[in-house]
Amino acid sequence: MNAVVTTQKLTKHYEGICRVKELDLQVYEGEIYGFLGPNGAGKSTNLKMLLGLVKPSAGKIAIFGKDFQQNRTYVLQHTGSLIESPSYYGHLTGLENLRIMQRLRDVPDKNITEVLKIVRLEQQKHKKVAHYSLGMKQRLGIAMALLAFPKLLILDEPTNGLDPGGIEEIRELIKSLPGQYGITVLLSSHLLAEIEQMATSVGIISNGQLLFQGRKDTLQEKSKNYIFLRTGNNEWAQNLLQQKGYHPVKYKEQLRLANLTDEEIARINKTLVQANLDVIRIEEYHKSLEDIFLELTRKENNLC
Amino acid sequence: MLKALTLEFFKLRRSWIFTMITLFIGVEFLWASLSVSIVLSRHPDSNGWETLLVTVASMNSLFLPILAAIVSSRICDMEHKGDTWKLVLPTSLKLNQIYAAKYGCSCILMLYAALLQTLAITCYGITKGLPPPVPFAWFPTFIIGTMVTSMAILAVQQWVSLSLKNQAFALSLGMVGGFLGLTGDLFPSAVNRIFIWSYYTKLSPVTFHFTDNSAHYIKQTLSLSTLTAVICVTIIFYLVGNLHLSRQEM
Repeated sequence: MNAVVTTQKLTKHYEGICRVKELDLQVYEGEIYGFLGPNGAGKSTNLKMLLGLVKPSAGKIAIFGKDFQQNRTYVLQHTGSLIESPSYYGHLTGLENLRIMQRLRDVPDKNITEVLKIVRLEQQKHKKVAHYSLGMKQRLGIAMALLAFPKLLILDEPTNGLDPGGIEEIRELIKSLPGQYGITVLLSSHLLAEIEQMATSVGIISNGQLLFQGRKDTLQEKSKNYIFLRTGNNEWAQNLLQQKGYHPVKYKEQLRLANLTDEEIARINKTLVQANLDVIRIEEYHKSLEDIFLELTRKENNLC
Repeated sequence: MLKALTLEFFKLRRSWIFTMITLFIGVEFLWASLSVSIVLSRHPDSNGWETLLVTVASMNSLFLPILAAIVSSRICDMEHKGDTWKLVLPTSLKLNQIYAAKYGCSCILMLYAALLQTLAITCYGITKGLPPPVPFAWFPTFIIGTMVTSMAILAVQQWVSLSLKNQAFALSLGMVGGFLGLTGDLFPSAVNRIFIWSYYTKLSPVTFHFTDNSAHYIKQTLSLSTLTAVICVTIIFYLVGNLHLSRQEM
């Protein structure tokens, strides 16, 4: 697969504070890449650097395999974006806003009709954007980003301000973009559930550092099941289970065992009971993506 | 470049900017015509056309800096209001093209104001029965002088309007400019030379001097050195403004 976005040691300092540190991003063609991180993690700064809105302090950006600085016009011609809150000319109608983008992007009239249909703003196209609701403005922002049906679509928190129905619609739309129009999507969010439902690849960023990058399945593999065991004598139980080939780890007042089948749990229980040990509690704990995300992001507090 | 310029005019839809300029010039001309009528009724022997041009040029020192501030602010503020830099810049247009288009757009609007004034001067003179012939030869000088001064003011105003989101500062600067333009001649010549707002009278085809408690009208041709100086100031402010904005991150 071809890399659509590649960054090498991308760094951004603001007044001596490091906002993005040596980021090596890899977004491949046809992917929906979810850029996940808590508020203030550096997601928007990074996306702005990819669009030339913010100058990197160090590092390189290549989009469609071309150096961004040297091929800025080509890259931007094939990239659509919606950064932070939607941008618009409030005194103009939705259609007129799209006309501005049409002139900037040199696209035919039919594209306007199509994007209005996609974001379901056909009925409101003659209304001034200042009178739109936040959700409608967000839809217009997506329509403007989509207008040229670019090769790469960069969306920063695209479901902000949308009601649950709207979120679902936009989610389905984003999911359909690679298959239907061949668009690679790079989207950011601080909401794990959103990324989980849309993305095929994930990048987790915290304090400007990329903590994880890869296929969503790889991240999900990290979500192991644990069995927590509490006995009358944890130390003795630990020794006993080690002799039987298990690897229990002491965790607070319990023993923790990873990746056990039901049969193995039954066998462990039987072993402990036969050894006259009281088995007080056997608990299963499923580590979710959220736990992994929190675990990763909490670790990183010091930067630069 | 033409695309960027037409786009600026497209963005001005529904902003009633031509109506606003027309009304603004209408008020100015109403004031100027009343003033001219009073002068002519008190001094029937004075040359009406000279009085009219001098009065309009003096009024321009007060009104046009404010009009330039409003025009520039209207053109620039829509980008701040809708946070549209991040919409427009990630396209094929570059910041310096947008900067030039906005400047070109405001210059065209100020040219409309200058042409409107010239038309009003002609119509007023003819209807008031000022002695013929109509001094058409003065009009190009009047328009060029007005435009060169307005362009210098616009270069400053655009820099301020695009750099600062709060347009109150830009509009206040326009008002201060109007005040300095009107009172510029009261300052020593070494001082008033640096007030770009006071060049409407300096570059007018007719000016006046007070001697022996009366005003004497003097016809003047455009001074090449003054013109060059104002144009140089315009270029400096334009380039500094453009450079300053290009260094800001959106």
